[in-house]
Amino acid sequence: MSPKHWRWISALAVGGLLLAACAGPAQPIEIPTEEPGAQPAQPTAPPAEPKVAVFIFTQEFDTLNPYYTNMFFSQITHQIWDVWAWQFDDSNEVYPVMLTEMPTVENGGITDGGKVLSLTLRDDLTWSDGEPLTANDFVFTYEMIVDPNNAVASAYPYADEVASVEAPDDRTVVITFNAPFIPWASALWKGLLPEHVLRPVYEAEGTLDNAEWNHAPTVGAGPYVFAEWESGSFTRFVANENYWLGRPKLDEIFIRFVPDDASQINALVAGDGDLGTFFAYSDVPTLREAGVNVLTAQSGYNEGWFFYLGEGSHAALQDVRVRQAIAMGFDRASLVEDLLLGMTKPATTYWDNTPYADPALEPWAYDPLVAATLLDDAGWIDSNGDGTRDKDGVELVLTYGTTTREIRQDTQAVAQQQLAEIGVGLELINYDSDLFFASYGEGGPAATGELDIMQYSDTTNFPDPDIYYWLCAEIPSADYPDGGNWQSLCDDQLDGLFQQEIAQPDPAERQQTFYDISRMMYEQVYWLGLWQDPDLWGVNERLTNVKVSGTTPFFNIAEWDLQS
Amino acid sequence: MDTAAGLSLPRLEELEAPPLSLAQLFWRRFRRHNMALVGVVVLALLSLYAVFGSFLQTEAYANLTETGLRLQSPSAAHPFGTDTVGRDILARTIYGGQISLLIGLSAMLVELVIGVSVGALAGYYGKALDSLLMRITEAWLNIPALFLLLIMAKTFGGRIPDIQLLGRSFSGSVVVIILIIGLTSWMYLARIVRAEFLSLKEQDFVLAARATGTRNLAIILQHILPNSVAPIVVAATLSVGNAILTESYISFLGLGVQPPTATWGNMLQGAHGYIEQAPWLWIFPGTLILLTVLSINFIGDGLRDALDPRSRAV
Amino acid sequence: MGRYILRRVLQAIPLLFIISVVIFALMMSAGDPLATMGGRRATRPSDRERLTRQLGLDKPLHVQYLYWLIGNDWDKLDLDGDGIPETAGRRLGVLRGDFGTSLVNRGRPALEVIWERLPNTLLLMVPAEIVIILGALLVGIYSALRQYSWLDHAMTTLSFIGYSMPIFFIALISMYIFAVLFKRWGLPYLPTIGMFDPTVGRSTLEVMRHMVLPVFSIATISLAGYSRYIRSTMLEVLSQDYIRTAKAKGLPRREVVLIHALKNASLPIVTVVGLDLPFLLAGALVTESIFAWPGMGRLFIDHLERTDLSVVMGILLLISLAVVTFQLLTDIAYAWLDPRIRFD
Repeated sequence: MSPKHWRWISALAVGGLLLAACAGPAQPIEIPTEEPGAQPAQPTAPPAEPKVAVFIFTQEFDTLNPYYTNMFFSQITHQIWDVWAWQFDDSNEVYPVMLTEMPTVENGGITDGGKVLSLTLRDDLTWSDGEPLTANDFVFTYEMIVDPNNAVASAYPYADEVASVEAPDDRTVVITFNAPFIPWASALWKGLLPEHVLRPVYEAEGTLDNAEWNHAPTVGAGPYVFAEWESGSFTRFVANENYWLGRPKLDEIFIRFVPDDASQINALVAGDGDLGTFFAYSDVPTLREAGVNVLTAQSGYNEGWFFYLGEGSHAALQDVRVRQAIAMGFDRASLVEDLLLGMTKPATTYWDNTPYADPALEPWAYDPLVAATLLDDAGWIDSNGDGTRDKDGVELVLTYGTTTREIRQDTQAVAQQQLAEIGVGLELINYDSDLFFASYGEGGPAATGELDIMQYSDTTNFPDPDIYYWLCAEIPSADYPDGGNWQSLCDDQLDGLFQQEIAQPDPAERQQTFYDISRMMYEQVYWLGLWQDPDLWGVNERLTNVKVSGTTPFFNIAEWDLQS
Repeated sequence: MDTAAGLSLPRLEELEAPPLSLAQLFWRRFRRHNMALVGVVVLALLSLYAVFGSFLQTEAYANLTETGLRLQSPSAAHPFGTDTVGRDILARTIYGGQISLLIGLSAMLVELVIGVSVGALAGYYGKALDSLLMRITEAWLNIPALFLLLIMAKTFGGRIPDIQLLGRSFSGSVVVIILIIGLTSWMYLARIVRAEFLSLKEQDFVLAARATGTRNLAIILQHILPNSVAPIVVAATLSVGNAILTESYISFLGLGVQPPTATWGNMLQGAHGYIEQAPWLWIFPGTLILLTVLSINFIGDGLRDALDPRSRAV
Repeated sequence: MGRYILRRVLQAIPLLFIISVVIFALMMSAGDPLATMGGRRATRPSDRERLTRQLGLDKPLHVQYLYWLIGNDWDKLDLDGDGIPETAGRRLGVLRGDFGTSLVNRGRPALEVIWERLPNTLLLMVPAEIVIILGALLVGIYSALRQYSWLDHAMTTLSFIGYSMPIFFIALISMYIFAVLFKRWGLPYLPTIGMFDPTVGRSTLEVMRHMVLPVFSIATISLAGYSRYIRSTMLEVLSQDYIRTAKAKGLPRREVVLIHALKNASLPIVTVVGLDLPFLLAGALVTESIFAWPGMGRLFIDHLERTDLSVVMGILLLISLAVVTFQLLTDIAYAWLDPRIRFD
């Protein structure tokens, strides 16, 4: 055989191997476009087809232990496999899950002026492995959270506000606070740790940080049980036969991790996924066209501008008239129409869509003429004809920073254009999230006052309206580098109102205080609302009974069903 | 000279061709390289496209987002289509081309400065300095470039605010990218320069220069360096293409130049999610990158052949 | 030879040390790992302060590096914030094989996180390398033997095009042709996302189907480059006197090419192929992002974005170790193949 023939034969062989891999078995070529769950993949096929709902997540959760992460995509799984003591429905109203009833002053659940909380547990609670779930699990959870050997993500409020958690008997949990703690319903018992599984681990290793259970929580208290987690690909939860409220309707929940938004939308449109979230408003028409229902859940988030008002801040921002002028020079209603396709509304206060915003307030109207007048009155005029106003030699140019998300960059461009029309200059900067949200101690641009205007979406301890951002005591400094008051705002009257609301047990009074707070922040334009930011959920039509909550999204997941 | 038969043979001086200058020699050899000439033409066209295109479309237009027009296929109004937020792709390729070419050339300059300095010092002084510099070079070479680049992009990116230059606003990340590409690619040039210096420093003209008391720096800059220009030029040319490719890689991964400043690389970011619906998102910028780097590679190949002192082709 | 190897190994140690210091210093200023621990909200001040202490992030840079290198079980830490260090640390340090725990995959050892994804990347890189070697040999040898034929010119131009393209462009083109267009035309098409379709399961055939496009994308560029290199090397060797002698002796062409020419051309080929590792890894990085392949490259990018020091350092150290090892192996192979080379 000549070398020439030999060459071609080997080339053909290699090509043939590749083609063979391409061809594959006859059948599975069809499978990617078929609806998952329609074909049983398990070798031991049950008599009826298992009902598998496929969720598409654009981020893989870092851990499943409820106390080791605050990641959104991890928290929303809690209602699947490790329910909370009480949860919130689609109107964000609280209802008991593990308790017989919510503790109130009337039924003796709340005593000693709000310092002692007594919870009565149901008598049919069990873990998925059959072990009874008792008050001891509550005590164990508390002990693990406050233990310094456990690097939990958040120890609030257990470390500082709670004095003790005791279990006088198997069905009673008594929580004693250091001082009457009003927001307890929004802050406590967001998942339980099984003592019978984790105490031995804790005793053996001295910490729960490296527990197997954190990424393979085979024992849980929810309607479904963890089955498997293939890193980078998927996670499976199967129905919990021992669920005390009865076996859920679905047989399996399959969570698939995709790398980005575009793949998520493709999967939802093609019907490969039944549920997805965290997509852009611009994707909503595409989803609706494909027959995917888009649900919104109010979770208290509002996108807004936080003005830096501390030491070294821009002289203009210290003047309330300038801030009001900015509010009136930026047409946020049109922004919402154009960039958010009119699917949400401009935000007025930090407490929009909760009972705590003063209902009489309306968003600042777009009025560039009045804005210009205000700026003139404040002494900011364009003395050198360069297009931006100035005063005492200082140009009115503000640094305006946010993260790299598309919608935020677009907002920056629009804001720059519009504020330029009233003579206010904006310098735009974008940062990666973990740079932007870095603390004062880490030199984070938002925390250290490098930015005059910071934009991001945030909420209170939803559904409780309390928030620590504007307390004078929270201003970061060299002595207190972790301070949370990044605006360095210290308004004594506002501070007084916040100190007041945290100690008001009477809901009506507390609500009134928040009306005052929201009105004050509105008039002083300490925070300028851009748009209300509810959670968007895309749900396939075949998934029925779906309701989503802003606080505990999958609160009724045990009732979700699949229509064939 | 006349022979006995009466024939007239040409004189010896007339037989030899007149000596060619170095430049003429170079050009003759370069000219024979068809692909290199094609490369020059294509590169010239692309440069014209990037530079003069800015007279046709303003940069504000290139960055103008109109979400209503997102993902439109090529049409008369938008010859290259629109991207995910409604920006005109043709305009963005023009301005993206400017930035990409700018990054390529600037990164090459950074590499040139660092690489030639390190190589020259290592090659000329030898011994301990050579050993030290080569250790550093080796350490730098052993970290796979892209990984190091990504880490450096993460560390330094986002810390430089937007730059206002000549009435236009550039994302500060452009400077960061130029610096870090330069800082991670100088090693190849350093090695080449060092090899040249090692071989040239023993030559007679260097010894003569030293004997006449010329200072070391003068020897390096005026004697040895001009004689090692050929491989440096070739390496520098090829490194422009490499820098453009590298920038496109990191921008594609999202850590390079940040939008709204366009580069050919960051226009491709996320395009794989729209592979079915909008192939125009990646076809145009990708082809432009390909053409640019291809022509640079052809030119570099031509230069290598033309400047090769061992080649006897004319 | 043994002394040479020993010398190289000893030289590699300070090299790796320098690399680790440089990367560590860069990562320290790359971002705040606690910034995103609050989920969608800013991390609470009390939690931030506690976590900084518990995770050892409040220690100065050189102390953190020391803990990373040799662990902290010889030192006492103050975990409960009372100012008195009384708890012994639990880290053993890199020198004892403990790369620390991931800050992103809370609590999981960094090495475990990396090791889980490493085989997936190898699954792309090893077949890619095989394709590169075989393909470059085929194309290079053929071009060398048929120098100046139109096929040679075509292949040269294709090679130029091949290594002037960014990898993601090749990936996108191949995705477009073999997945989108083929599907449109009703032909059997290749999948483009992930390593396997979860509903079908992780069968060998399924993984192989998913592997085709990524491997092709990674291999193309290097194949193009090396085929030219092999071609020029073969041309050089074929013009040597000993080849002419072999032909004059009447040896069959195949024997001349395979045994005499190729063997002598194999030295630079081995060198170059052995040093290809960094490029393969870079290719794997980009390809894994496009095809959503759950490999080490994507792991690196994801964890770099969240400033997960232990995993990023772990990956880089392993890669640098691999690169250094491959360089050493290449040198040894070089010496073994070429009896003229002697190491002092």
